[in-house]
Amino acid sequence: MRYAEFTPYDLVLLAQGLGVTVGLFLVTSLLGILIGVALAVTHYYRVFLVHHLFTAIFELLKNSPVLVQLFLVFFGIPAFFQINLTPVWAAVITLSLNTAAFSYVIFKSGIESVDREQIESARVFGHSRAQILRLVIGPQAAAFSIGPLVGLLVNQLQVTSLISVIGVFDLTKIGAILNLRTLQPFIVWTVIGVLYYLCAKALTLIGNRIERRLRASVAWVGF
Amino acid sequence: MISIRKLQKSFGPLKVLNGIDLDVEPGQVVTVLGPSGSGKSTLIRCINGLELFSGGSITVDGHDVATPAGLKAARKASATVFQMFNLYPHMSVLRNITLAPVNVLRVPKPRAEDKARELLGLVGLADLADAYPQRLSGGQRQRVGICRALAMEPRYLLLDEITSALDPEMTSEVLEILARLAESGTTMIFVTHEVEFARRISDRIVFLENGDLVVDLPVDAFFAPDTATRLPRVRQFLSKMAKD
Repeated sequence: MRYAEFTPYDLVLLAQGLGVTVGLFLVTSLLGILIGVALAVTHYYRVFLVHHLFTAIFELLKNSPVLVQLFLVFFGIPAFFQINLTPVWAAVITLSLNTAAFSYVIFKSGIESVDREQIESARVFGHSRAQILRLVIGPQAAAFSIGPLVGLLVNQLQVTSLISVIGVFDLTKIGAILNLRTLQPFIVWTVIGVLYYLCAKALTLIGNRIERRLRASVAWVGF
Repeated sequence: MISIRKLQKSFGPLKVLNGIDLDVEPGQVVTVLGPSGSGKSTLIRCINGLELFSGGSITVDGHDVATPAGLKAARKASATVFQMFNLYPHMSVLRNITLAPVNVLRVPKPRAEDKARELLGLVGLADLADAYPQRLSGGQRQRVGICRALAMEPRYLLLDEITSALDPEMTSEVLEILARLAESGTTMIFVTHEVEFARRISDRIVFLENGDLVVDLPVDAFFAPDTATRLPRVRQFLSKMAKD
């Protein structure tokens, strides 16, 4: 068998892989953040039953390898419940919950970082609990959370590469295919690595811009 | 009228208020004096519902603050200015002042903003409407705190050691505003250590000690020499304050 050279079509493959990686990353991040925010809010309202249930699940998610979770969801759950799960669905479920588990902790400490005194003054002025969350706590918790959240997301972007193991055609999987075909690991993995790097960098830049906006009130104003 | 009857409050085994009786009529300025830890701030925090009390009752214009509906009404009738200002750091000065009028009283935003600018003008901060609290000095922050309270058009103003975190110069800029409010007939419960100032603006002085209301006198009677002779504890407190 003759190993093939690179072809222009490989660029299309790379673009597809990149699309799958970025797409899955965006979907799972969005779902994860939504679940994380929702649970931080149940914590604020002290809905303890929901809260305890999810903290227990999240404890497991935070303290076990993502790859193991992925295998459990992709192989374990279909076998046990007699259902079919596509690799993409398994990836979405696993990564979303994983992001949710870590972002919940970030949002919870964001909410707790807001001074009690401000909340007291909002209460005295007659604001409802929902208003206090929306007007006083929310914006400050968001400003507090955005930095750690971007850090988390950059990490979760790299973690998406694990889904190639269960057969999702993401950027890493495309890399593996190109590598097998060309036997040029140095070139292939450099290109793949640079693509991840660029995505992560773009994410950080966007995050920094949002952070600057959210922190407008504490920006250094000079003399 | 604010009516306080047999008000008791304990934190665990620690009794902070042991049966306080106090009435504040509209238009009066009542100053609460007393050593640190005597329960002055707790008294204010019971009136505005930040502390649940263990016994007795408080009504504000007949609304019982121990019930949720009563507390809601009482909070609309009164406004609090805090020792540490407690402004919202992520909002401009203007928004700090309009937040409650717009969201609680449902005043249209343009009207609330006009009112806020007018109040800021009265306290000499008209040009800082768009600044964030972090840029302001302590005295300026507290003046914003006062505007925020006045924007609610409260019948009762509760002032909880509002100059304790300020240096003397800033203290006088805040007190000057209070003096004007007192003259214009605003009802106030004024917890403070500023004895001389209290003497100037108050109608009545009450003195708290160890959770008991030991003196409740018109201001002239409180500072009359024979009061000090009759009540050694007040004399001691006043002479200590005068030294500071």
